Amino acid sequence: MSLASFVLRRLGRGVLTIWFAVTVTFLLLRLLPGDPALAVASPNMTEDARVALLEQYGLNEPLIVQYGLYLWQLVQGNLGVSFTQSIPVLDVLIQRLPWTLLLTGTALVATVVIGVPLGVIAAARRGKLADRVVQIIGVTGQSLFVPSIGVFLLFTFGLVLGWFPIGGAYTTGTYGAEWYLSVLSHLVLPATSLMLIQLGSYVLTMRSTLIDALGEDYTVLAHANGLPARRVLWKHALRNALLPTTTLIGLQLGFLVGGAVLTETVFAYPGIGRGIYEAVTQLDFPVLQGAFLMLAATVVVVNMITDFIYGILDPRVKTA
Amino acid sequence: MSIDKKTPPAIDAVAEPVSAEYGRASAATWRAFRKEPLGIIALVIMLALILVALAAPLLAPYPASYGTAVLQPPSATNWFGTDSLGRDLFGEVIWGTQQSLLVAAAASLIAIAFGTIVAVIGAYFRRLDGMISVIVDLMLSLPVLPLMILIAALVGPSTATIILVVAAFSWPEVTRIVRSQALTVVGLPYVDAARLMTTSPTWIIRKHVVPAVTPVIVVSVVVTASRAVLSAAGLAFLGLGDPTTWSWGRILYEAQQSGAMSSAWWLTLFPSLAIFALVLSATLLSIAYNDARNPKSRRR
Repeated sequence: MSLASFVLRRLGRGVLTIWFAVTVTFLLLRLLPGDPALAVASPNMTEDARVALLEQYGLNEPLIVQYGLYLWQLVQGNLGVSFTQSIPVLDVLIQRLPWTLLLTGTALVATVVIGVPLGVIAAARRGKLADRVVQIIGVTGQSLFVPSIGVFLLFTFGLVLGWFPIGGAYTTGTYGAEWYLSVLSHLVLPATSLMLIQLGSYVLTMRSTLIDALGEDYTVLAHANGLPARRVLWKHALRNALLPTTTLIGLQLGFLVGGAVLTETVFAYPGIGRGIYEAVTQLDFPVLQGAFLMLAATVVVVNMITDFIYGILDPRVKTA
Repeated sequence: MSIDKKTPPAIDAVAEPVSAEYGRASAATWRAFRKEPLGIIALVIMLALILVALAAPLLAPYPASYGTAVLQPPSATNWFGTDSLGRDLFGEVIWGTQQSLLVAAAASLIAIAFGTIVAVIGAYFRRLDGMISVIVDLMLSLPVLPLMILIAALVGPSTATIILVVAAFSWPEVTRIVRSQALTVVGLPYVDAARLMTTSPTWIIRKHVVPAVTPVIVVSVVVTASRAVLSAAGLAFLGLGDPTTWSWGRILYEAQQSGAMSSAWWLTLFPSLAIFALVLSATLLSIAYNDARNPKSRRR
């Protein structure tokens, strides 16, 4: 398979996933008990505005026509109008998306940067104390509830020690370099919470795939050729063990985004997740729907990117 | 105890060895399990939590009435302190155990039943398998929490909603795990032999395929239940829990709403410890069971 057809297939898969997310959302909104009009029109609207909006979405038409209209609206980037802010949902979410991307991106990079070496250490010292400690970190990390760890960090490092700000994403009234610094200091605690809940899976996957790689013929051969153990571990075995970790990034993205919703709520971080929390309190359904679709689209796009990277790292993927 | 068997959660998970001698194998598993100290500790914690849930009315009165002693730290009268409306936190956590375990058990049982049926059907009728694995793949690649939130908000918060919503998005994971095992089983000679004896696929599935995938299902129950605890707590933390019953997530939600979360540390600490104890013991149980079941990793 050539690179072009590999890329095309992955793109097709991404489009399929987004279509699936949209269809599931549509079916849920229309088939669940409750007024489907709630998803686009607020009960507090004036009657004229409500009727106009319902007609725009064709909520008086048969289901299949509604589905077509729904897809058409989405293709045009029309996610409805927020009940509470009376501005298009897309505008509400676009302001918030960069913060969520910054938070999840930082957490993801931190997880990989810390998780991979920990997994390598555990695999290299299999059965020793360091391995046990890393395994305990891995299993414990997988059992953490994000808000719990978030509040713990906020309480300890924000309130008691006062090292980091306790909420928000930046200090208002700062400019230039000072502003960037404030963004950084506001990012530390939420990104750490998000990193801690992810770390476990990465560490354990890294450890077990590396242990497998260390048992393969090519590592045995590298040892037999007299290469230093450290070189075999970091150059030969790790390169192959990194591939499943790349897959893990894609698989954990949905979980990461879910964690971001809770983390942003704890830290009053102005991303999409905090938007979801506020929309829940105000029962702002268009925002909830739009937020899910936007997060799903983000996950799909990032997933495609990791797939492309995987394809570059592992030539077998393209030829398979 | 080792976690060597942990594989990355890809759609084609590595198949586990199939136990042929069912009765004797389970006895050997139990003998090996008893030697795992962490597994036993996890089992004890789990049983203690179940006991607390069942005996909640005996342990603490239902914390419904408001008190005057607002936001009191832990003391002899209120072991876990009081919340912003003066209610006893100990009672809230105890009663929350009941709700959290109920949601976890119900949601994971529904997800397991549905997920297993789909997986086994897919493995047995290969024509359906392609479609099933595509759907599972798609569902696993979506961010489920925002979707759960949307549905829970639309339908309105209640215990039944939470259970159904969590179950509806937990089954693909079960299908993924069980499917890979079922695929191995269906290819084994004894299933071919069974096909010669009967034309009823339900009989073969019930008598031969399901028993062979049972160990994987046992692990799935525990893992799915612990995920369900986290999902349900997450929904409740966002204000989508049942407002009429206490749950661990609701305690955290009310602490957040009242603004007392950061000053009154006990409001977060005790429900958090409860969630952590349940999820960690479930995770350890599944690891210990997996190790005990696998003759290769058993300790002699």
